[in-house]
Amino acid sequence: MVFPAKYPQLNDTELTEEARSVLIRVIRVAFPHPNFPDGPYERTADTILAEAANSTWFRVAITQGLLTLAHFAGGDFRDLNDDDATKVLRRIEATEFFGFVRRTTVLNLYDNEDVWEALGYEGPSFDKGGYINRGFDDLDWLPAAQIEVSPDATPLVEIATNVPLSGSRPATGPTPVTPGAPVAPAATAATPGRDTSNQPGPRDAEMAEVKK
Amino acid sequence: MNAIDLSDEAIVIIGSGAGGGTLAYELTKRGIPVVVLEAGGYLHNEDYVNDEWEAFNQMAWLDPRTTSGSWRIARDFPNLPAWIVKAVGGTTTHWSGATPRFKAHEFAARSTYGRIDGANLIDWPITLAELEPFYDKAEIAMGSTHVHGRKPLPANNNYTVFANGARERGYQHVSTGPYATNAEEYDGRPASIQDGFNFQGDKNKSKWSTLVREIPRAEATGLLDLRPNSHAVQITHDATGRADAVLYLDAEGNLHRQAASLVSIAANSIETARLLLQSGSPMFPDGLANSSGQVGRNYMRHTTGSVYARFDKPVNMFRGETMAGVIADESKHDPDRGFAGGYYLETISLGPAFLASFAEPGAWGREFTEILDAYRNTAGLWIVGEDMPQESNRITLNTSVTDKNGLPVPNVHFDDHRNDVAMREHGYLQAELLYEAVGSVGAHRTPPYPSTHNLGTARMSEKPQDGVVDRWGRTHDVPNLFVSDGSQFTTGAAANPTLTIVALAIRQAEYIADQLKSGGI
Repeated sequence: MVFPAKYPQLNDTELTEEARSVLIRVIRVAFPHPNFPDGPYERTADTILAEAANSTWFRVAITQGLLTLAHFAGGDFRDLNDDDATKVLRRIEATEFFGFVRRTTVLNLYDNEDVWEALGYEGPSFDKGGYINRGFDDLDWLPAAQIEVSPDATPLVEIATNVPLSGSRPATGPTPVTPGAPVAPAATAATPGRDTSNQPGPRDAEMAEVKK
Repeated sequence: MNAIDLSDEAIVIIGSGAGGGTLAYELTKRGIPVVVLEAGGYLHNEDYVNDEWEAFNQMAWLDPRTTSGSWRIARDFPNLPAWIVKAVGGTTTHWSGATPRFKAHEFAARSTYGRIDGANLIDWPITLAELEPFYDKAEIAMGSTHVHGRKPLPANNNYTVFANGARERGYQHVSTGPYATNAEEYDGRPASIQDGFNFQGDKNKSKWSTLVREIPRAEATGLLDLRPNSHAVQITHDATGRADAVLYLDAEGNLHRQAASLVSIAANSIETARLLLQSGSPMFPDGLANSSGQVGRNYMRHTTGSVYARFDKPVNMFRGETMAGVIADESKHDPDRGFAGGYYLETISLGPAFLASFAEPGAWGREFTEILDAYRNTAGLWIVGEDMPQESNRITLNTSVTDKNGLPVPNVHFDDHRNDVAMREHGYLQAELLYEAVGSVGAHRTPPYPSTHNLGTARMSEKPQDGVVDRWGRTHDVPNLFVSDGSQFTTGAAANPTLTIVALAIRQAEYIADQLKSGGI
């Protein structure tokens, strides 16, 4: 267990330019997008470093994480190919270090316009009049679809015909109530054979279990 | 605005969303003054931003909460069990707009499904027939498409994939609604411009919310005293056990006491239960109106999940109304599928920022990035179905964690029922088959998001020992205390809950107005 506050010298840990460059490589390997430029990855690394600068615990975790990467890589993590680098990250994925990098990356990498453009997301649209005249219905590789249920459709069967129904209370169809007139609670409560919350009515054995 | 004095015994509504906002309008239009305490600030449509995270941080309820149980949320988002709004208009400003009704048998879940191990099922004390006139009123108020002469929304790209897949699979009940967003000008609000931002608040005012309809109309009566940034912390009662005041915090954390002749809680299921639990007293030692022990229990969140499918051609799912696509065929009750109850399939779309956060929390590497690399060619749908009420799924006060005001935070405990798991698996498979039928080259099963449908923590019951409120949403224990939100739901049904919350609130308002006149409260 690490108690950062007890070791003031750890507060002096400097995250070097080399550390930044290893971090960028970690993010690239963990979140590989062939068509992303470097900018989003660098920005995400800087976000992580800025958060680490504000939190002793994250700074400690990052310092240790970077050391661990070097140990597992047997040298410089940046020299590993993608497959080997991924294997190293799999070995540390449960660490505080990797969890912090992963969470911060997921929250920040994809929240930027350059990434949206690379992915094909067009983003804010209200100021451009929405998409109503900008392709909301331009999909052309499937036929146009009906937007209303066809009048010829088979009526929806609400309860499958194989289900035994209660004789004590009609589950479908109109119940005998006068429109506008509130029904006294007793009208249904007094019906014989009705369930209570812990005592089933007489016919319940048939549905005692969910069939699998 | 009608300023009501703190010492005036007022009708106090806590929350301004689907339940509270509707109740406030329905009462003020009958000439009854009300105070509405809204925990969040007053955001207007112009304030909204077309940016997922910025909008989330602007609108979402971010007060700390804790979680426990086997649901994935407790691991992935331990302090964000629910994705709801803290602002005037409540979560109606964030909802997407789907408005299916409950089916008749969904009001009689216990009678229809029978005994299911571990499920605390009872029937609602009301029937569909009783609620139908209020469904009509709610649909007309909200401008639901496809009903009452409202034009359907057009098909967007995501819908075209969804509906073609549905047809290939033999589904017949497929449409772009009912959906409470205008396809053409209605009720003084314009047609949708298909801008693709629903969860972020609708800048165009085409989507119904209490922010665009009920609240301004209640304000126009001159009888509404709306107090934003007013977080209710306790309901007090007199020696006879009647609610007599609401204590609330203002934005600066100062405590105020609003005297009350009647109190309605519509704070969304987690906060509604929290408030009742925080209002315990010697007369109500387990929490106000909790003689049944059911306050906070039977918490439901709908059985949900998403499937994002990849194609080799562009879809651009983000263009257009997010959830204007519904398949109702699976909403039937057919236990031969391996579970009780039913579910809807509805279109959904997230931007890259949210897809990255929610598609597969905790994942990384190539299998994660390929989900995002396929973004342009991706179609998405959401499964939303009935989950089983369980006594152990519950809201409690976590006295070891406090919020900025020093109040205990709510803890949300949830375990999936095996019926929920079976339904979700069935939905995932049907969704994958649907997309395969129109040529998908891959699909990803996304786990449930933080809950947007929070239900059941003060449920309606015939008998006082089975639940918290009666058929009118009036608590069994405290005659002038009502619950007006989704907490009342006895069971969750498959349908998205907002329409039913609004219908119940309209019905409840009639009852309250009537009782006030006749001296019944």
